[in-house]
Amino acid sequence: MTARRLLRAVTGLATSAGAVLTASIAAAAPQPETGYGLPRDVSADGHRIDWLMGVTNIITGVLFLIMLGWILYAAIGHNAKRHVAVHDHGTSRRSIFIVLGISGSIFFVVDGNLFFNSTTDIEEVFHNFEKVEHDPTTIRVEINAHQWAWDTRIAGPDGKFNTKDDIVSLNDLRIPVDTPVIFEVASTDVLHAFNLPNFRAKVDAVPGQINRFWVQGKTVGEYEIGCAQHCGTNHYKMKGEITVLSKEDYARWADEASKNSARLFDENDKDAHWGWDWKGN
Amino acid sequence: MEQHIHPEPKAFIWKYVFSIDHKVIARQFLWTGLMFLALGGTLAMMIRWQWAYPKTAVPVIGQLFLSQTGGAITPPTYTSIFTMHGLIMIFWAITPILIGAFGNFCIPLMIGARDMAFPKLNMYSFWAFFISAILVILSFTSQLGAASAGWTTYPPLSTNVGAPGWGQTYMALAIFVTGVSTIMGGINYIVTVIRYRAPGMTWFRMPLTVWGLWLTAILNVLFVPVLGSAALLLALDRLAGTHFFVAGAAVGIQGGDPMLFQHLFWIFGHPEVYILILPVWGIVGDILSFFARKPAFWYKGSVFAMIAVTVLSAVVYGHHMYQTGMAPLLGLGFEMLTLAISVPAVVLFVNWLNTIWKGSLRLEVPMLFALGMVFVFGAGGLTGLLLGTISTDIYLHDTMYVVGHFHLTMAAASFLGSFSALYFWFPKMYGKQMDQNMGKVHFWGSVVFITLVFGGQLVAGYSGQHRRLFDPYQYKYIAHLAPLNRWTSYAAFALGITQLIFVVNFIKSILMGKKAEQNPWQVSTLEWTHCASPPVYHNFDIVPTVVRGAHEFADPAVKKKFGRDYLDQVEPGLGAVGEESSDAMPEPEAIGAE
Repeated sequence: MTARRLLRAVTGLATSAGAVLTASIAAAAPQPETGYGLPRDVSADGHRIDWLMGVTNIITGVLFLIMLGWILYAAIGHNAKRHVAVHDHGTSRRSIFIVLGISGSIFFVVDGNLFFNSTTDIEEVFHNFEKVEHDPTTIRVEINAHQWAWDTRIAGPDGKFNTKDDIVSLNDLRIPVDTPVIFEVASTDVLHAFNLPNFRAKVDAVPGQINRFWVQGKTVGEYEIGCAQHCGTNHYKMKGEITVLSKEDYARWADEASKNSARLFDENDKDAHWGWDWKGN
Repeated sequence: MEQHIHPEPKAFIWKYVFSIDHKVIARQFLWTGLMFLALGGTLAMMIRWQWAYPKTAVPVIGQLFLSQTGGAITPPTYTSIFTMHGLIMIFWAITPILIGAFGNFCIPLMIGARDMAFPKLNMYSFWAFFISAILVILSFTSQLGAASAGWTTYPPLSTNVGAPGWGQTYMALAIFVTGVSTIMGGINYIVTVIRYRAPGMTWFRMPLTVWGLWLTAILNVLFVPVLGSAALLLALDRLAGTHFFVAGAAVGIQGGDPMLFQHLFWIFGHPEVYILILPVWGIVGDILSFFARKPAFWYKGSVFAMIAVTVLSAVVYGHHMYQTGMAPLLGLGFEMLTLAISVPAVVLFVNWLNTIWKGSLRLEVPMLFALGMVFVFGAGGLTGLLLGTISTDIYLHDTMYVVGHFHLTMAAASFLGSFSALYFWFPKMYGKQMDQNMGKVHFWGSVVFITLVFGGQLVAGYSGQHRRLFDPYQYKYIAHLAPLNRWTSYAAFALGITQLIFVVNFIKSILMGKKAEQNPWQVSTLEWTHCASPPVYHNFDIVPTVVRGAHEFADPAVKKKFGRDYLDQVEPGLGAVGEESSDAMPEPEAIGAE
């Protein structure tokens, strides 16, 4: 009896401590975006994607205008009313050279730039799990998607998953700033897609399969998690929040939350132990 | 091939219902396709209404079909609406119009055949399609609502785990049955082109339209069976309790693999986008030349480009699955192949631009639609680059940017191409003329509003709005896009209303249009030069012997001798009267082509 009362008291205390912390964060609740264009980038490496899209947009924008101008000029300037058609099958060496030249230049410049930068970014950063797995500060997160919410699990001080000290929550994820965070994502029921637009990150949640990605937040604040893959009636409501905390705030919160979890750990609640052994590299 | 002339059936049922005449079957496909286009378009308007005015009653349609909620769209209804919109537009609107109607109508007439190689198979193809159309309607009437798992029908959502009820089952079966129809049609087209070309109609004298339709038929016969098997396995999962595609908690450890379906789906699905666009490429290639009164620029280059795209289309499907946890090296391979498609695509595109350059453009309705198609396809093609690239696709995947992109290429380009074809061949199909002024209004409304609708989607997606959201404004980073979405919806409604002009024009012209001449556009292909409008039952009294390609325009020597600016595919031309035909065939390497 006393044990339970004690537990309740401690839980209450923890909850109120949590509430105080939450209130301090609430001041920075997810800010709405303004204007058209990319949402704020709060990740260390999202600028790579933004740059590549920006550069490509400029080139394709120019090509688009050339095309439009060409069609309009031909339609007006070479209209039957004022222009006699030339008899040209376009089969001269020169004609073919021009066509293949344009095609080849676009391929090598636009596609080449995309391929080169994408491949470099993917290999050096976005898929470079080797580096991040070896970083001692890296935070590991498991996400289990189900209709229509995100179960999150951060390994506690023991570094292992499915143990007493895991930090478990629903639709509410907190990560430290300037620290790599690796996500392993799975699903219980149908396909979902874990989507962090402000971090330029996204991966499908697939039943029976573990997918992963990593990000590093650079700006403290609250941002939204969305589900990008149609997952049924309430797909549109399947959203969560990801909060980037300063390293000190995170350490304090993680310590508290981990202890909380350990206190509330129930050996017999099998459903609550959905975590898996870290897949790693 | 010797082709006999068969007597024309007299009874109504054999002449108009169970007809084996490719021209009648073409019109059957056309009408069915147009009706489904209207249905799919109405569903699109409902999606746009929901995004403009979330959760408020849809005018008229809501009162008719959603009376239980007072006319408002609910989340489950919404999922059915966008699912059925996509499936209907692809399989029951664009496919029958482009491939069923124009494939059937144009192939025999343009190659000088009296009918398809297998006229009865052709009839079965239509009636199989008709059965699939009934299954679609049944899906709407089922108790738990129509199919709702998205047009891609990804399991496990599309299995009983996520979509119980008959609506989804009917659609899985409908996809299978329409696949059977497509395969029957495809085999017919392939054989007809190979075996029934008129004497002298060499491969490189075929109009580009026939090339496009023939390559599409090949893709259909190769890849629709893959979709068919996926649909069948899905139906088994739903009906027989198998676990091909179910995994996770629903089945425990002994599950199947949902990714298997995605592979099967996209092995078909990527060729499918070329299936829908290749006929348009061919048609537009011809029409640009016909109305620019100038030979198609580097005809052989266009043909080889279309062949290259056909081959490459089979090996790029992985770019739809970059975010599914695909092995990085595999992703890289798919990325490289995807980007490689831009080479033949640009060749084709530059050939079109060069065809109209220094021409003598007649901006009649088919030409306007063809130019509009070039424009929207250009915009769609350019926006595709960021989606074929792995790193940029991380951000853009599953956003409205993807929706805008594939609507520009697959929907807008096919739509404008289909109407270009319809305005062009209508006089031959029905022997009547369509109202050109109404056609022009239809064109300008369509092209302007299409650009605004899908351009708006591109902007919304680039700003982060992801797909298939009943109420996107739940998200704080999307909420500010509400006005953009509302304006996009206004453009969509205007696009819908514009189509009514076509409906009036189409029906009015069939009923009381002016009688069309045999060759009103003054072009060179066989259906115009050697067939009445409309053609007789057996198409050609005497099958003509072809001597040149379809794009002999603007030759000054021809103009001097015949007083017109083109030579048809059959007439002797300059050579027959002793003159050297060097003007008609200016380049030595073009002899095979022209």
